[in-house]
Amino acid sequence: MPALDVEALVREYARPIHAYLWRLTGDAQVAEDCLQDTFLRAVRAAASGTQVAQPRAWLYAVATNSARDHARKASRRLQREQLLDSDLVDRSDAPPEAAARSDQLRRVADAVRRLPPKQRAALLMRKYQELDYDEVAAALDCSPATARANVYQALRRLRAWLSDEEEA
Amino acid sequence: MTGGRNLPARERRSWEAWLGDSKTPASPPRLAQQLDALLRAGPEPQVRNGALARLSKRLRQAQPGPVYYDRIERTPVGALWVAVSDKGLVAVEFETPEREFRRRVERRLRAPAVRAERPTVKARRQMLEYLQGRRQSFELPVDLRDLTPFQQSVLRAALAVPRGHVSTYGQIARRIGRPGAARAVGQALGNNPVPIVVPCHRVLGSDGSLHGYSGGRGIKTKAWLLQLEGAQLTPA
Repeated sequence: MPALDVEALVREYARPIHAYLWRLTGDAQVAEDCLQDTFLRAVRAAASGTQVAQPRAWLYAVATNSARDHARKASRRLQREQLLDSDLVDRSDAPPEAAARSDQLRRVADAVRRLPPKQRAALLMRKYQELDYDEVAAALDCSPATARANVYQALRRLRAWLSDEEEA
Repeated sequence: MTGGRNLPARERRSWEAWLGDSKTPASPPRLAQQLDALLRAGPEPQVRNGALARLSKRLRQAQPGPVYYDRIERTPVGALWVAVSDKGLVAVEFETPEREFRRRVERRLRAPAVRAERPTVKARRQMLEYLQGRRQSFELPVDLRDLTPFQQSVLRAALAVPRGHVSTYGQIARRIGRPGAARAVGQALGNNPVPIVVPCHRVLGSDGSLHGYSGGRGIKTKAWLLQLEGAQLTPA
């Protein structure tokens, strides 16, 4: 197993990982922070000579965990802020909304954001980052069958949430 | 376990086709078009380029720069290797195969080591002048970042022993506030990565014996260095 070559990883994966984080977190600043966390982890792993079998899946795993940690911190912060101020943080500039030109798209965006984090991450990695199930599994630390199940569960949920509106 | 278990068969096939899980063509579900529209959108170019530029900058700061090293062919104590980082001197070694020296430096500092004349010129010049008796002290910062705090404090204490004087392992141990640690002090000095510049040769056994020296020709080199410095061989 080779040690990590950080420069090569940055060249090849910084853009897709950034796009992934941007989609996953729906927040440009959080995506950028997580992007830096991810590659700084790679620098430390390379420095300590850590061997990594699947560098791409490893990066997605670190990125996914980093986004999850950010979300936890943010929700704690949000809870504190809500105690002080009942106004919700204005999230109108969050990227998915920028793409959501219609009410329908906004509903889909909300539904995607409501997905359990693991299902959302699995769906994004499989469909939009074009990872195969082995890589999604390595990134989510589960079996390929579970990775696949997460993707389909995400779709099933989205469909269930949105079907009423579709039929209407 | 099949993930699409609870989806109707026809719809599952169309999701499989959409995901690339199946080669069978099927028209994508209606929701798929919305998901595509929503999620294919990436960050705006200026957001992306800004994020990537700041990432590069952050990584440059985080990654250790290269270490430069070179050889001093002829000194009174034989050939020497010296290595410097951007922060200061990181290694001095007596005659060692180049590969071995380079690897040791790279492992210690977790940075690539590159043989180069110019970045090492100051260290090489001062070392040669010192060993030829044309220089009284070094004006070289030392970079000991990879050492433990204990090792660093021992080496700093050794650095404080003036030229022409000697100390003992026990005295150094007391000076750093660890009076019981004479043996550990001896070990830390034995692993001194920058001998001569950090003058571990000025530290002797408690009985005033030269004790040991890991570089060059061992105790002979230690004695030679002390003689060069005009040391009185009685610990202060």
